[in-house]
Amino acid sequence: MAIIQTSKLYKDYATNGVTVKALRGIDLTIDRGEFSALAGPSGSGKTTLLNIIGGLDHPTNGQVTVNDILLNEQSAKELARIRLNRIGFIFQAYNLIPVLTAIENVEYILLLQGVDKEERYQRSSEILREVGLGDELHRRPQELSGGQQQRVAVARAIVSQPDIVLADEPTANLDQKTGAMLLDMMHDLNKKKGITFLFSTHDQMVMERAERLLHLVDGQVADDEWKKK
Amino acid sequence: MQNYKIIIKLAWRNIWRNKRRTILTLLTIVVGCAMIILMNAFAKGGHDQMIEDAVALNTGHIQVHEEGFWDSQTIDYAFKPSEELISTIEGHEAVAGYSRRVHAGVLVALEDVSKGAMIQGIEPEREKTVTNLHEKILPGGRYLEKSDSTHVVMGEMLAKNLKVKVGDRISIISQGFDGSIAAEHLSIVGIFKSGNQEYDRILMLIPLSQAMKTFSMMGYVNSLVIRLGDPDEMGEVIEACREVTEEYSYPIEVMGWKTLMPELVQFIVMDDVAAWIFDFILFMVVAFGILNTIQMSVFERTREFGVMLSIGTQPSQVVAIVLTETVFITLVGIIIGSIIGIGSSVYMHFNPIDYSAYADEIAVWGVNTTIFPATVTVANVVVTGLITFVLAVLFSIFPARRAAKLDPVEAIRTL
Ligand SMILES: Nc1ncnc2c1ncn2[C@@H]1O[C@H](COP(=O)(O)OP(=O)(O)O)[C@@H](O)[C@H]1O
Ligand SMILES: [Mg+2]
Repeated sequence: MAIIQTSKLYKDYATNGVTVKALRGIDLTIDRGEFSALAGPSGSGKTTLLNIIGGLDHPTNGQVTVNDILLNEQSAKELARIRLNRIGFIFQAYNLIPVLTAIENVEYILLLQGVDKEERYQRSSEILREVGLGDELHRRPQELSGGQQQRVAVARAIVSQPDIVLADEPTANLDQKTGAMLLDMMHDLNKKKGITFLFSTHDQMVMERAERLLHLVDGQVADDEWKKK
Repeated sequence: MQNYKIIIKLAWRNIWRNKRRTILTLLTIVVGCAMIILMNAFAKGGHDQMIEDAVALNTGHIQVHEEGFWDSQTIDYAFKPSEELISTIEGHEAVAGYSRRVHAGVLVALEDVSKGAMIQGIEPEREKTVTNLHEKILPGGRYLEKSDSTHVVMGEMLAKNLKVKVGDRISIISQGFDGSIAAEHLSIVGIFKSGNQEYDRILMLIPLSQAMKTFSMMGYVNSLVIRLGDPDEMGEVIEACREVTEEYSYPIEVMGWKTLMPELVQFIVMDDVAAWIFDFILFMVVAFGILNTIQMSVFERTREFGVMLSIGTQPSQVVAIVLTETVFITLVGIIIGSIIGIGSSVYMHFNPIDYSAYADEIAVWGVNTTIFPATVTVANVVVTGLITFVLAVLFSIFPARRAAKLDPVEAIRTL
């Protein structure tokens, strides 16, 4: 069943009279349970595509649906609600709110959703334990390593059981080993909980772990490669 | 809606992220509020003191005359205080004392020249409950007593100009109430220095009983001067007097100190305007200090706000977080500032600024006040706090909205 569908997505950026065509007609379907990667060199349009799928940016042309909701038609307020309830975000780095502890960062999402205190704590601490941070619940981001911070970001992204988690180069600021561990952990969550992941990367190690590789070149899908099922 | 809890938590922790900046902003608010409160307390205390001094020196809070007397200041305008009027005044609990007076412009005859002066015939005992000139007698002399008759107390400058001293005799000449010539020999028993140049230069006091005779007053007086224990009751006392004086067959004027001394009122108004301008400047310094802090802290957190907006925080919640930070800093600042402002005002109330060394310079302005206390009022503190608070919130709306309107895509790109 399709969670994400894009049709004929175009995105132009106009800067100083020069138009950059960041996306040039992307037709893409992501099904529930996928563990897929957008691969491509810097500037190929990975971030732009993830932002549009996530309702953070608007396409110049074309359509995106998330779980059959057409994003193009939503108000800014509604888009914020869709991002809160249906999508988990992981960015390259500095994902967390610095003044909140690990568990408070995870709870933040549930708080915005209006989940009550006990359930919030229960679910957040459980997720943090699953990502291996059971002993780090009350540490602030600055007291955590880069890898630990990204795990908190993963925990925050999945705690509300979103339709899909979008991760823009989640390992770019980590060393190889830490990056590999993070990815293995995400893959684990994908297998055990059926959470759908779509991430971007230009890292060979990450590409190896993806089940499906979508190669982006100059804003187009050059290759759609299923590695294992 | 449990979101306010996280908003408060975020705001509180954020203001302590940059302690130095927060403390500096806090200091701006504290110093600003404290200074405004203290300045206003000095204005209030100084004005009250000036009113009190002017009232206590000679004018009293209320005067009753035949209509026209205050403008012309001539002996022709006189009235007979009725028993009903006296009992109304005596019966009012706000009244501290009253005294009848005769006012006469006189010539003091010297060997070759004569000098103009002003005589007030007063009731010595009663006058002490109305004015404090009896406390300003220079050593070597005394104030008038009940048993005095052709005795006179005069201002220091007048004595100097006349080249007379205590024990000397002078002759005065004038016109009586009935149009006859009034002349008298008076012996000087005391010389006062009031600090008010006009009084010190022209005023002489003689007993009312003697003035009645000298000026053929036939039981009439020029003024009835009332001193209040509670000046806030002035309106009521004036009303009570007017109710009685309406019964007179000739028009009577009942005037409060503001009508009696319009120059003093004008001076206070101008002084207030100057104080408000000063307040305004201080308020602006505080407001821009807050604006600067909030703007800086929002700017530094661009990426953070970008992430928060991305993961589903509503823009209105971002506005709430920023405004709550302002509210915290401002409230703490206002509370500490008010405590310091009130504390220093109370201290300056009991340890007023003493300018008595500059009494002569101050006297040039027609002011005999040399002690300037601070008097802090609830209104002063509440209004200062409220204005600071409202300004702080108003000035934070701009950076708060800027944070809320950030494009998350752009914001996350900034590191
Ligand atoms: N806000 C922007 N303004 C102008 N050009 C942009 C903007 N964002 C991205 N681009 C351009 O769009 C293209 C795709 O960028 P991006 O999606 O960030 O690629 P990737 O994430 O694969 O590196 C690049 O040429 C980039 O310079
Ligand atoms: Mg990118």
